[in-house]
Amino acid sequence: MDIEIIQGIISLLLLILLAPLFSGVVNKLKAKMTGRIGAPVLQPYYELKRLFRKETINASNSSFISRFSPILNFVAVIIAAAMLPVGFWKPLISFNGDIILFAYILGLARFFQILAAMDIGSSFEGMGAAREVTFALFAEPIFFFTIGSIAFVSGAASLYEIYHSIHLDNISYMVFVVICSISIFMLAVTECSRMPVDDPNTHLELTMIHEVMILDNSGFDLFLYQYSGYIKLFIYTVLEISFFNPFGKESYLVYAGIFIVIAFALAFLLGMAETITSRYRMKNIPQYLLFATAIGILNLLIFTFTQ
Amino acid sequence: MKTLEVQNSQIFDKSAISFLKRNVFQQTVADELAGGGRMIALTPVDKSNPEKIVAVIAHNASSMIHIIGGKFENGKYEFESWAKEFPQTNYFECELSENYGYLPVNHPWLRPVRKQNIILGGKPYPFYNIEGDEVHEVAVGPIHAGVIEPGHFRFQCHGELVYNLEINLGYQHRGVEALFLKSNPAQRIILAESTAGDTTIGHTFAYCRAMESLSHTNLSLRAETIRMMAAEMERTAMHLTGLGGVSNDIGFALASSSYGRLRTLVINSLALICGSRYGRGLFVCGGVRFDVNEEIISQYKENLNVVLNDVRQINEYLFSSIGAVSRFEDTGAVDKKLAQSMGLVGQAARSCGLEEDVRIHFPYGAYRYNPVSMITLSSGDVFARARLRDLEMVEALCFVLDQADHLPAGELRIEPAAPAADSGVVSMVEGWRGEIAHLAFTDVNGELTNYKIKDPSFNNWYGLSLALRQTAISDFPLCNKSFDLSYAGHDL
Repeated sequence: MDIEIIQGIISLLLLILLAPLFSGVVNKLKAKMTGRIGAPVLQPYYELKRLFRKETINASNSSFISRFSPILNFVAVIIAAAMLPVGFWKPLISFNGDIILFAYILGLARFFQILAAMDIGSSFEGMGAAREVTFALFAEPIFFFTIGSIAFVSGAASLYEIYHSIHLDNISYMVFVVICSISIFMLAVTECSRMPVDDPNTHLELTMIHEVMILDNSGFDLFLYQYSGYIKLFIYTVLEISFFNPFGKESYLVYAGIFIVIAFALAFLLGMAETITSRYRMKNIPQYLLFATAIGILNLLIFTFTQ
Repeated sequence: MKTLEVQNSQIFDKSAISFLKRNVFQQTVADELAGGGRMIALTPVDKSNPEKIVAVIAHNASSMIHIIGGKFENGKYEFESWAKEFPQTNYFECELSENYGYLPVNHPWLRPVRKQNIILGGKPYPFYNIEGDEVHEVAVGPIHAGVIEPGHFRFQCHGELVYNLEINLGYQHRGVEALFLKSNPAQRIILAESTAGDTTIGHTFAYCRAMESLSHTNLSLRAETIRMMAAEMERTAMHLTGLGGVSNDIGFALASSSYGRLRTLVINSLALICGSRYGRGLFVCGGVRFDVNEEIISQYKENLNVVLNDVRQINEYLFSSIGAVSRFEDTGAVDKKLAQSMGLVGQAARSCGLEEDVRIHFPYGAYRYNPVSMITLSSGDVFARARLRDLEMVEALCFVLDQADHLPAGELRIEPAAPAADSGVVSMVEGWRGEIAHLAFTDVNGELTNYKIKDPSFNNWYGLSLALRQTAISDFPLCNKSFDLSYAGHDL
């Protein structure tokens, strides 16, 4: 077998297997910051194991959409993960223009999750779906104005090449990349329903966005949703980490070091944000998202004009 | 004399109440309400024979409680509703109607209070609904996602905006008032303690004062002071819980976990005195069961000083956080006029700028000698309700620390005599949530004929409905937590 394919498979497996650990680390750090001991770092794995063994119960009035949406959601997220370059390895799926597929395969996952939420006919889930769609509308441009602007600058159109084009030797380019990473962080917070957009720990149905959509799912279906949630968060984390990759002929050891340090830094930032900030009022969330988009646009404009 | 005027927890003879004919009764109550009174009870004197009812009206200005009796003969239980002119009587009339078959004629909104399947005024109760293309109805509860008490909320929404919230309670109805009549004095105090789990001391305080008044028992100042300290501790602990809840609802994890930690310290200090973190077993008719010695006092003061110090910092942190304040301000505002006409009580009223505090208007126990200060805020929104709790908590802590230094001497417990025959009493206490009123009436043998409890939640639930008008539905949990009302206290 081609070495690139093996590397692609290994990086995909790493992404899938380490994803719950990252969420566990975020939760642990958050607990520490609020003076609690917190759940073990491996708690997300235990949760997944528990859900995996449980029976799925579907609402009696739900249609086939509710049945296949969790699987589709999970598979779509896995495909997106397979397109993500980890380190200097070529991802499993990589072709010219895969950035569009990457964005919309995640969009597809969301689309079916929203359909499944409305399928049951619960008023909460309908509200959650409405919120998710509204905020997704504002979140989509963020991705294209950040990753897209790097693509625009480099002329590349696949995630692998886009990230390979990043070189942190030029100061103005470095600033450009750092600001892009800020936008992506704001996007990650939204997409993965973290604070200050959504509160992953709330038990209040009326304020939930993402959580309320999976309120009627149980057992294996919930396992799939939860797991794809963890993977999604990790995908955005790796997107962030890849900004700071010293691409080229570096050693695995240096790369692994950078990966771990930045992952921890991001987990710390997420935990910190969830500790010291409060959630935005629902009507202010679009402002927050437009702000991230504006950063992306201005960043691109300033960079192209200063070159 | 058409009305009987008494003070808080002053025993009166049942024969001193003149039971008026229907028309005179209606007019007298209307005059009392127009004169600035606030209804605190509308209930029969004898639970098994509801033809004689009393309307109890409290007047803050004169610190007097006016009792107006009405007699309805030949089973014709009808009177003209006051609710159109005085919305505060609305719920009391519904309650009377539900329990005893009275019919308030021309009542604007006759609805079940606790028994959701009951038929009042001849037709089943229709829920509110709005029709239109973009309106939707959200029904929440009575079973909730979190471990909270059951209550049913119906929102009529237009997008994210709430047009109307209808609150349906009664799922916790245990028949507490009826149990009071059936049980013996030793059981009654346990009943009072379990009326509302978060107001153990408040309700027990009101119950004990009612029973002591009925038996002409006077407590020593030491017992009164220990009671007062316990009541203020409960206030502190519950305000900490409430602020923790409010911070949690906006996802402010640091403040929420800090308040939680401090609350434990406060309730543990309460346990130092009586062995129960909620103050169960501390109160007994005729005094308190446990004394405090030097050792307890010093430990107690040490704990409270830690709490006071930390709480000041966390309050400062919470109320100077832009994120938190932007969530609190202008959310779920109730204006002062509305609050007054609805008869809101306690912290919900004080945060709208209304001066309502039983400790000040109707002083009782050791509050007669140790006045507390009236704290009010004017904005009536979530910010005011949260900030008021912060201020009251610090005040209560300072007050308790001050009292701990000057504990008067005296006997802990006096064995109370049997309750006087043919008497009645209105006992009001300021619980942490607001005004708690207990009414007791005895028969010729000194046995209870009616025991009526009014929890502040009874007045304030409707305030929550009003706070939600034109508020985003996602802000409901925050508004709800800022009112922090009891289901058990309302449902009884």
